[in-house]
Amino acid sequence: MQKVLRYTLLMSLLLTTALPEIASAHFGLILPSDDIISQGESRTLHLQVKFIHPLEQHYMEMTKPSAFAVVHRGVSYDLLETLQPQKGKSSDQAADFTYWVTDFAIKRPGDYTFHVEPTPYWEPAENLFIVHYTKVCVQAFGLEEGWDEPVGLETEIVPLTRPYGLWTNNLFSGLVLLKGEPVAFAEIEIEYLNESSGNPSIVTAPADPYVTQVIKADGHGVFHYAMPRAGWWGFSALNEADWTLKHDGVDKAVEIGAVYWVRTRDMK
Amino acid sequence: MTAEDRRQETGDRIITALLFGLAILLLWSAPCFAHKVNLFAYVEGETVYVESYFPDGRAVANGKIKIFDADKTLLLEGHTDSEGLFHFSIPKYDNLTIVLDASMGHRTTYQINRQELGE
Repeated sequence: MQKVLRYTLLMSLLLTTALPEIASAHFGLILPSDDIISQGESRTLHLQVKFIHPLEQHYMEMTKPSAFAVVHRGVSYDLLETLQPQKGKSSDQAADFTYWVTDFAIKRPGDYTFHVEPTPYWEPAENLFIVHYTKVCVQAFGLEEGWDEPVGLETEIVPLTRPYGLWTNNLFSGLVLLKGEPVAFAEIEIEYLNESSGNPSIVTAPADPYVTQVIKADGHGVFHYAMPRAGWWGFSALNEADWTLKHDGVDKAVEIGAVYWVRTRDMK
Repeated sequence: MTAEDRRQETGDRIITALLFGLAILLLWSAPCFAHKVNLFAYVEGETVYVESYFPDGRAVANGKIKIFDADKTLLLEGHTDSEGLFHFSIPKYDNLTIVLDASMGHRTTYQINRQELGE
């Protein structure tokens, strides 16, 4: 009897500590200083690469990514060695966490799709590794060409809505690809980035389900979501990899996420 | 009514119809104004390269290009080729304004600062 009691106590303790982790979703993030570069504006983009809980503003430690590059007019440029480590945290986090920054000089017109492949992140609460292939698109000097092309990542979201120049409440549509094939009924998690510049006040969730919106793609891997606030929105389509990674000598599952970020602005 | 008058009346009608048709055509082509023309230029060595394009990447072919200095004096002019490209040797170390005049309503400008020209 006492054994059962002790077990129950242990389980409830475990659940209490694990629950807040489950409530908020992990998101890879590439946050550019601007999503549209017009004539006369600064041509130097500042980019932050993070692993966070976007709504709750919690940072997670991010080791140097495996890959970081930009595709412009069909050509890929490796930017991995330009990344510099930085430290940051939310106001309610005790310790600092590593994220990465770089500056990128825009020289020519067109769409610039930045993408990162992080090193696998071990998540003890979920007993798996997480790899979020993350993309964001920046448009320069009026040439809107390239945003609808896949980069060729293991898994990725390909926008069906032009991913810049979006108003608040616009519908964002995307296609989830895994090894280049659409993922029928893929699950997509969506979060608002509270640290978006121009966010007038921090959004607090009235209940846990509000933190992460969850939708499913249709049978063709296509999803839609209307974004109710100005700022940056992250879309994360989650799949389990058909490969495993070892943690302490044991094979563990790998959650691979296809993440895409878009920015909305209020009509005024 | 003489034969001459009748001819005159028919002529008037044709002109009215033509004008009406032209007006319709003009109205019809109005959505084309939404296809904004874009201009971009960059400097390599002594040459300024100009690109003109619609948002979807199509070239603005045979667009009229004019280059002005800071005092709005015309320095040179030319036309974009079938790929929307044009280039010229730096005519003057000054803040330059490049003007693209394509078909109706398709006009845009691009500024190149003196610093970008080097020297």
